[in-house]
Amino acid sequence: MTEPLVLQQKLDLPAAAPLAEELKARLNGDVVIDAGQVTHIGALCLQVLLAAATSLKAADHSMSLTNVNDRLVEQLAQMGFSPETVAEGRV
Amino acid sequence: MSEQNDPMAEIRASFFIECEELLEALQDGLQELDDGADDPETINVVFRAVHSIKGGAGAFGLEALVRFAHRYETVLDEVRAGRMTPDSDSMKLFFLAADHVSDLVRACRDEAPIPEATSDELLVRLDALLGDEVEEEEADAADFTPLGFSMSLDLPEIEPELNSFEIRFKPEQEIFATGNEPATLLRNLCGLGTATVRCNTSDLPDLEDLAPEAPYIEWIISLQTEAAEAEVRDIFEFVDGLCVLEITGTKSGDDGDVAPTESIETEVEVEQAIAAPTAIAPVSVPKKPQGTKPASDTEDSGADPESKKAAAPAAKSVVRVDLERIERLVNLVGELVINQAMLSQSLDEAGLSPHSDAMNGLEEFQRLTRDIQDSVMMIRAQPVKSLFQRMSRIVREASAAVEKEVRLVTEGEGTEVDKTVIERLADPLTHMIRNAVDHGLEISEKRLANGKSRAGTVTLMAAHRSGRVIIEVTDDGAGINRERVLEIAVSKGLVPPDVQLTDGEIDNLLFLPGFSTASQVSALSGRGVGMDVVKTSIQSLGGRISISSEAGKGTKFSISLPLTLAVLDGMVVNVAGETLVLPLNVVVETLSLGPDDVQMLRPGAYVVKVRGGFVPLYDLGVMLGYRAQRKTDAGAIVLLISLEDGSRAALIIDGIQDQRQVVIKGLDDSFYRAPGIAAATILGDGQIALILDPADIIAGLGNPRGADIMLSERKIANE
Repeated sequence: MTEPLVLQQKLDLPAAAPLAEELKARLNGDVVIDAGQVTHIGALCLQVLLAAATSLKAADHSMSLTNVNDRLVEQLAQMGFSPETVAEGRV
Repeated sequence: MSEQNDPMAEIRASFFIECEELLEALQDGLQELDDGADDPETINVVFRAVHSIKGGAGAFGLEALVRFAHRYETVLDEVRAGRMTPDSDSMKLFFLAADHVSDLVRACRDEAPIPEATSDELLVRLDALLGDEVEEEEADAADFTPLGFSMSLDLPEIEPELNSFEIRFKPEQEIFATGNEPATLLRNLCGLGTATVRCNTSDLPDLEDLAPEAPYIEWIISLQTEAAEAEVRDIFEFVDGLCVLEITGTKSGDDGDVAPTESIETEVEVEQAIAAPTAIAPVSVPKKPQGTKPASDTEDSGADPESKKAAAPAAKSVVRVDLERIERLVNLVGELVINQAMLSQSLDEAGLSPHSDAMNGLEEFQRLTRDIQDSVMMIRAQPVKSLFQRMSRIVREASAAVEKEVRLVTEGEGTEVDKTVIERLADPLTHMIRNAVDHGLEISEKRLANGKSRAGTVTLMAAHRSGRVIIEVTDDGAGINRERVLEIAVSKGLVPPDVQLTDGEIDNLLFLPGFSTASQVSALSGRGVGMDVVKTSIQSLGGRISISSEAGKGTKFSISLPLTLAVLDGMVVNVAGETLVLPLNVVVETLSLGPDDVQMLRPGAYVVKVRGGFVPLYDLGVMLGYRAQRKTDAGAIVLLISLEDGSRAALIIDGIQDQRQVVIKGLDDSFYRAPGIAAATILGDGQIALILDPADIIAGLGNPRGADIMLSERKIANE
């Protein structure tokens, strides 16, 4: 199994493009994302995660978020998501 | 200022004016914090100032400003949340950052190059303060949680009337470029009440096709809140035009079930998802609707009473008026005064009785003119506070540059001075402050050795005194090294080598052009600007500057300025066929010289006996170069003048014409500034008369050698 993708602490505008690149490189398999360090997630990085989840799903791969802290849960909720719905790219 | 017919330019201009006010509040707040204030409102004020600047800057796409303000705000928020207690180093950094924000604001306003390097350097230092501490977002989330996601379970029996809003929010690309974050807006929105947030991701492409920095998703939020629609809209104030925003609302007492929109793909009940945090933070009564300012509203961490307190002083209603309009009004009033003088003169010449209706009416007219004038002047008057704040920055920078510890004490910040005067005082004051820090104060070691406190003190004081504005710059340094000053003056050929000067005269040598020496050049002073330039700028304002110094105790520069630059109560006199005006407030009495009144001290130096005392006597005509010394001054008319520093002089004139208000007309820079002449005026008959500066006359002529100094001044100025 590949190493989990460890998310940065601050997932803001500057973090969006690198995150997209990292995820693109992992589209050929299941992706485990370690969100343990995340203190902030913005709309753009959320989009990247959602798009990645959708793409992975279309390719019959899965994405999962691990080590999700309360803070992240709360921030996702404020944007209308839960860690599960993000991992599923909605649906 | 703003281009005509360009609403954007006008809004932009008013944003920058607001910024000035916010920067002032920021400085004030930081100063209070630095002075040990620890109430939450002070840091709130500081935070809000930065936040509002950021918000406004975002709306105008001033990215550099947004970027810096955002991260500055992040650090301030740590302080606000009580997770960080600023020490003296971080306070210094906060001041530097505030200065930098003000630089950025000005650079943006003037479309000047942005000092990016400084931004980066300061940001690194600001970020370093944060260390591993928790991020801003968490802080805010924690602040908002109890408010935002409280459920109706614990509400008091009488449920307040709730408004239901359905909000559609679709960010556009620019929203991110301006430093705004939809997540923050959504969080703030949730803070207003109970929100159900749904996200529409139907436009979201596959990861391969995704532009990571472009927004694809939109949100639909159902919000039950006590807040009015305006408050909901306020949240989006800073992103106006950067997003699609639709707010539809109905007032309802129930929970307002809103039917989900069909396009919605993702839906999560906020209440469920964040069940854990709500459990930690006790659920409270939903936030009360309140009418705080928008900027504070979005970030206010529930400090309602404080925010009201802060808003209170701002309640004074004000009108912003273009300075040009006021200038025009001032000019018109000036013309009115001249016109009135002309009218008065022609009525006089027509031989009307002083008791006639026309003359009585004229008197009333004069009184009204004066009232109008005073009122107009009051419009232009501003407290010197903003100027003093700029000086506190100068002190910080100057003390850092020369590595001295300096404390700036300001007094009388509320003293009001004509706006033009304030603007034109900035440069001379800057120079004086730098001088005080650089030359006035000793280095810490030396201070300690002399039994003084480690940190030097520079005091900046403003006050109204006998119809003039006094501004003093005092340092508690070593005082003027008079030996050295005299040495320099002699070596520069400014005074003859064998000259004997009093301490006061030596001090005044500092004001001579060409005094500033190469050996004085340091990082701060010695930028080719000497105290003579300071003196010239003060004089061009109709002011005077004097200096007093005590060895080991310090030096005081004292500036005395007229309250207004526009009108003066003057005594119109004749001297050698010329008409001159003397400011009335300096004239103590008029005398006619008797044969025994005058006594000679030595050839060319006379005194006059007045009420048992002796006052130096000068022939104004001779001093101004209108005529040669006369054989006898017996029978001449003398004006006894006295200045606020107590010095007195008797000036021989030929006759007194009148006592009236005159409009001051500045002399163009292209004229050589003659010592003793302050400005000019137009008299009732259309004639131009020079307005004298008696203090300058006394300073230049009040001592036997003063004339030499005046002559060297003349010589150098002519060169």
